[in-house]
Amino acid sequence: MKLPNPLLPICLAILGYSSLTGGDQATEINFSRDIRPILSEHCFKCHGPDVAAAAGNLRLDSFAGATARVIVPGKPNASILLNRVGAVDPAMRMPPSNSGMKPLKPAQISLLRAWIGSGAKYSAHWAFIPPTAPKIPSVKDKSWVKNPIDAFVLAKLEQGGLKPEPQADLDTLALRAAQTLTGLPPTRAQMATLHRDTKPGAYERFVDELLATPAYGEHEARYWMDAVRYGDTHGLQLDNERTIYPYRDWVIRAFNADLPFDQFVKWQVAGDLLTNPTTEQMIATGYVRMNLTTNEGGAIAEEFLARNTFDRVDTTSTVMLGLTVGCAKCHDHKYDPIRQRDYYGLYAYFNSTQDDPLDGNIALPQPVMPAPNPDQEQRLRRMRSQELSLLRTVDPREAAEWLEANVTPVPTSRDWQISPVYSAKSFDEAFDQSAPEEPGKPGPGHWTPLQYELGKDAPNLIRKDNAYVYVKGTISLSRSGPQILRIGSDDGIRLWLNGKLIHSHKIGRGLDAPKDLVTAEFKAGDNEIVAKVVNGISIDGLNIGFGPLGVTEAKALARYRKSPDDLGAQDAVREVFLNLGPDSAKARAYRASAQQRAQFEAAIPMTLIAKEMTKPRPTFILKRGQYDQLGPSVVRHIPSALGNLPAGAANNRLGLANWLVSRSNPLVTRVFVNRIWQQHFGVGIVKTVEDFGSQGEWPANQALLDYLATQFVANGWSVKKLNRMLVTSAAFRQSSRITAVKLAKDPENRLISRGPRFRLEAEVIRDKALFAGGLLVQRSGGHGFKPYQPDGLWEGSSDPASSTHFYVQDHGPETYRRSMYMFWKRTSPPPAMITFDAPLRDTCIVRRSTTNTPLQALALLNEPTFLEASRAMGARLLRAPGSDQGHLNALFELTLNRRARPDELALLTKSLSRYRLEYTQNPAAATKLLAVGESAAATNLAPAEQAAWMILCSSLMNTDEFLTQH
Amino acid sequence: MEPLLEAEMNMTRRELFGRTTLGVGTAALSRLLALGGMGAVLGSTADAQAQTGLRGLPHFAPKAKRVIYLFMSGGPSQLDLWDYKPKLREHFNEDLPELIRRGQRITTMTSGQARFPIAPSKFKFEKADNKGDGVWISELLPHTSKVVGELCVMRSMWTEAINHDPATTFIQTGSPLPGRPSMGAWVSYGLGSMNENLPTYVVLHSKVSSDKPNQPVYPRLWGTGFLPSEYQGVSLRSTGDPVLYLRDPEGLDRSTRRAMLNDVAALNHQSLQAFGDPEIAARIAQYELAFKLQASVPDLVDLTKESAETFDLYGHEAHEPGTFAANCLLARRMVQRGVRFIQIFHRGWDLHSNLVGDLPSQTKDVDQACAALITDLKRTGLLDETLVVWGGEFGRTVYSQGTLSQDNYGRDHHPRAFTMWMAGGGVKPGIVYGNTDDYGYNIVDSDGQIIDPSVDTFTPGAVHIHDLQATILNQLGIDHTKLIYRYQGRDFRLTDVHGHVVRDLLK
Repeated sequence: MKLPNPLLPICLAILGYSSLTGGDQATEINFSRDIRPILSEHCFKCHGPDVAAAAGNLRLDSFAGATARVIVPGKPNASILLNRVGAVDPAMRMPPSNSGMKPLKPAQISLLRAWIGSGAKYSAHWAFIPPTAPKIPSVKDKSWVKNPIDAFVLAKLEQGGLKPEPQADLDTLALRAAQTLTGLPPTRAQMATLHRDTKPGAYERFVDELLATPAYGEHEARYWMDAVRYGDTHGLQLDNERTIYPYRDWVIRAFNADLPFDQFVKWQVAGDLLTNPTTEQMIATGYVRMNLTTNEGGAIAEEFLARNTFDRVDTTSTVMLGLTVGCAKCHDHKYDPIRQRDYYGLYAYFNSTQDDPLDGNIALPQPVMPAPNPDQEQRLRRMRSQELSLLRTVDPREAAEWLEANVTPVPTSRDWQISPVYSAKSFDEAFDQSAPEEPGKPGPGHWTPLQYELGKDAPNLIRKDNAYVYVKGTISLSRSGPQILRIGSDDGIRLWLNGKLIHSHKIGRGLDAPKDLVTAEFKAGDNEIVAKVVNGISIDGLNIGFGPLGVTEAKALARYRKSPDDLGAQDAVREVFLNLGPDSAKARAYRASAQQRAQFEAAIPMTLIAKEMTKPRPTFILKRGQYDQLGPSVVRHIPSALGNLPAGAANNRLGLANWLVSRSNPLVTRVFVNRIWQQHFGVGIVKTVEDFGSQGEWPANQALLDYLATQFVANGWSVKKLNRMLVTSAAFRQSSRITAVKLAKDPENRLISRGPRFRLEAEVIRDKALFAGGLLVQRSGGHGFKPYQPDGLWEGSSDPASSTHFYVQDHGPETYRRSMYMFWKRTSPPPAMITFDAPLRDTCIVRRSTTNTPLQALALLNEPTFLEASRAMGARLLRAPGSDQGHLNALFELTLNRRARPDELALLTKSLSRYRLEYTQNPAAATKLLAVGESAAATNLAPAEQAAWMILCSSLMNTDEFLTQH
Repeated sequence: MEPLLEAEMNMTRRELFGRTTLGVGTAALSRLLALGGMGAVLGSTADAQAQTGLRGLPHFAPKAKRVIYLFMSGGPSQLDLWDYKPKLREHFNEDLPELIRRGQRITTMTSGQARFPIAPSKFKFEKADNKGDGVWISELLPHTSKVVGELCVMRSMWTEAINHDPATTFIQTGSPLPGRPSMGAWVSYGLGSMNENLPTYVVLHSKVSSDKPNQPVYPRLWGTGFLPSEYQGVSLRSTGDPVLYLRDPEGLDRSTRRAMLNDVAALNHQSLQAFGDPEIAARIAQYELAFKLQASVPDLVDLTKESAETFDLYGHEAHEPGTFAANCLLARRMVQRGVRFIQIFHRGWDLHSNLVGDLPSQTKDVDQACAALITDLKRTGLLDETLVVWGGEFGRTVYSQGTLSQDNYGRDHHPRAFTMWMAGGGVKPGIVYGNTDDYGYNIVDSDGQIIDPSVDTFTPGAVHIHDLQATILNQLGIDHTKLIYRYQGRDFRLTDVHGHVVRDLLK
């Protein structure tokens, strides 16, 4: 539609559109871009999609609604809308003065007038229309363009009368690329290779090398951890530890292996519903379990089922759709076409998982599974097949005969009782402590009845880490004599028979581990047996079996007798025979292998996974989002404004996942590429990365966004290719210098008129410091580590009963690992990280704030890790032979990846003499200063010299240049 | 700052801005400095007089310039402290009538109990003179009873959450779900700093004498949610560094630190010239502020210059850092220095059992210091402009949790009616607002009829959490419906879409 109103470009300019759009676009009114925001901001709250509340039955969110009453297309003067929004009389003017909304600006009214004049055409919100590949624009300066991104960027710049900045120098560019792709500076070797490589494409090869380092996956995963609110604790009330780090390790592996993003999403949302899911696909479903949980005393399960599900829906919609559907929890969305029943339609996909809404305050609330990584899984398979070949050499008939002769009947038992649970500070203390219930103590203690049968597993007696409990019962035998007990425990066990200690085994194991065989003298008649079970971490349990062969073995025999030709039944009796039967070379080999495998398996962590209930829970609209206020029932569905389930897809989480990554979903690719853009440029193409709805910001360059989104799919959803494209563009390679002209014309660099420039994230800053100090330990994966932390932070904020009440710092290499592996207690995360704007991880965060505060300065100046890194770095410099100037240059290279400039050399040379003099005169101060941190002190270096250099190193680590991606 | 150090600084602020040669106007620079985070935690350094809060705030003339919020975490028992129910003695061990309970949900700690036996308070009450109609107060609060003439006692508080985590999160942030900014963060964001050398929002944690398990209080409760993280509360610690990483390492004296910071500033200044990024200028200023903080915070927490008379007032515990008494004294020093929002947490009020044994220890921790704080603020002329708030996240049940005996009982969580008080800052002194039924279970109107207050409409006589929040903001000159922040396309505010200023509480 051509513009009838010559004032329009001015109106658009006044409203701030010109800088973002410009060119021929500015001469056309785009409903979605120009008109909808005005209506949305000023009218939709009362006259929008929130049907139930539409004031005066007037709706302005559709052509039909608006033209029925207040708009006459093509006739602005006949349109009541314009009279009302432009009314001079405040009593007549819309929006009403008491609505809290501002009146329209004259420029906005002119726009509305022009739009009505040209037909008042409505179009859907841009983000709800699936992207199509846009035409690559032609530009004047074709030589600048390195890939199509640049054409889109340059077209905007040329429209705005701006020129790109020249390319940054190679050292700066290399540092920038390494930091943005790996979160670390480049290594000296990488820099040397880059400088040696004089052939065209050297920078691209450098980028490829970065993308191939394991650090890439770690860095990319870190953003994902913020989005999915990863934490090592439950996050509410007691905030006990929970084990889900195998999920984190999987995300890292997935990014490093460049798992296509559509698969990446599918596995996380619904890996458990895939046909024969692999271990990796199951681990990925940890995504569904990442919500905060609690088992606070008094908590009502139904309430937390709703809260947990809200959390999952809100996170999924923000992470995958860039939409805030949360508003529709209580009422139809006022701005976007998400009705309340749509919200509960999505809710219904997530409310039927098997996990208990209350977490039991344990580390591994069900469902859980062992999470071997692919290497471990392969080794396990090898071990199992080795055992199987040994097994198959046994004649099952021989095995069965032996079993027949050795199965003993289980005696009767009764009066099983259990004591209270006692907590200790550590597993050692729990094992060594005793309570009144222990035989030999004054007692009698406090006993409550327990349902138990000999030979059966009794899990979850303790439900607490570093705690213990006593179980006692009476076993009746017809005659006296020695008997063999078969004791399984998780973890440690102490056992008394008729008051006498007969067994004590301090071990960390599971109930399925090989059992302890204990021979003890029994009386005829009643015998009292007392077991103390000591739990170290997560699951606990007890099994008191009788005789060398127990229930399992008897079952194996029965099964074989029933179907002697069944291979499984044969293997079962073979296994018993080799494990417990007569000694032989074969049996010894088998047992050794099984034991080795058990040990190997014990070292494999468990992880939380999602599993679907066989029958879904019914879902109802919860009025005002209250769990106990049920409204009408709702079936699972995708909000109709966003598309439909793909044909043939099951209507469950897998169907939802399939839709999320289908062509009919207009959002997922745009939302993700936009976040990747934000990673590299500091601000997204849509600045509100968390909101692509009508209240979110219009994209600064929609054609570019749509190009990236469609190209992403065309490139097989490869995240590496996407990263590579961005980082090798000319746009990315510009100098980050800010000229006065550009500060005025493009203050936030939305047009990409210069290179990226923003403060680095908390984790990158710490990792860089350790890297410069030569302290960084780049071991991938595993349990979170606990670095230095000021005393009392956990103890002062948590319940003493919490498993994360006492902060026990790690020592040695663990402490120097990359920051993304820091143990994340969600109610008290690592303080230095929080100071530098890391989120708490209790809600989904896709855009961190970037603040600049004195508390950050204090952390960098005084936090022991940074001081220790300075000390280590000083020693590192001094160990290399050379002059002060040589050392100063090395200092700049290690911290800033460049050589020092002459004025900087002069400044720091002067300071160096000052510090030298000071610490030579005061050697005691030097010794004190160098005492920081646990890493080994440098020998053979003069303390005064080392202290002086330590301060210089600290100075460089405190410069803006060190802290800034530039 | 010592003159020597001042002289050593190789760059003053004027020099910094004077030397900015890239054509960045001072106005633009200050704006960007403010955006970069100068404002909230510590105020602007670009111009000491600069308005550091939002434009247009305060919305109207404030009655209070600052807030001291005494948070009794765990839920103090209103029935044993403030809400006197003498008739309950006649109902000892009777079942709570269904006419009173009215289907009110109950936590799973007591929902399985076969009975809900009435537990009258074991503590004596007396009517204290509040220069008005008088106020009934428990023998456990002898000092507080002497300052009730300054207190506005609200007996009809109510909340929707019934467990600690949601209830505490609700009263602190306006939502039972994590992710929203705390009240102090909203105030920092809206009003900014009054003292560039101290944080705007300070949180203090108090030692608890009782050795019972304590409800956790954690950073989310003074966090910023979706607001920029600079507005979060700064915990002032009683052991170690008062502010994390405040102290320079051993072996580094102040003049060396100054010299080192001069190098950093000089290097940063070169970056500023090379790159022209105003953020660099902000960084230079933040390092100067950090250096000043290293002096101003130790001065703040140094109580040695306080008089013997003051310590008599707060009690000898005030000598021991980290006690509630010492924290109250610190709070007074902070309001004198322009800290805007102070929150003191005291834990251990969650008395599900042995309430009779444990409550006296809780009140002993806080009673004298609360009264002292009011008296001290009054005598120093600060009370008029300082709003003091006292209370927990919910109240406790009239029925006993677990065994009820003649001598002892426990009480479960009760959201439907509980007591808080406010003082100073433009609230009416010496009044009691709101009533509950004879069981202290429901809020009633002046005729004694049970009220079912709704969060959607204002119910005179009842004070919802959002009403309390609206009222506190109001005293600070903030219209709670207008202090908003757009996040994920929605305008958020502390009071969500609810809340009414309770005018009856105000002067």
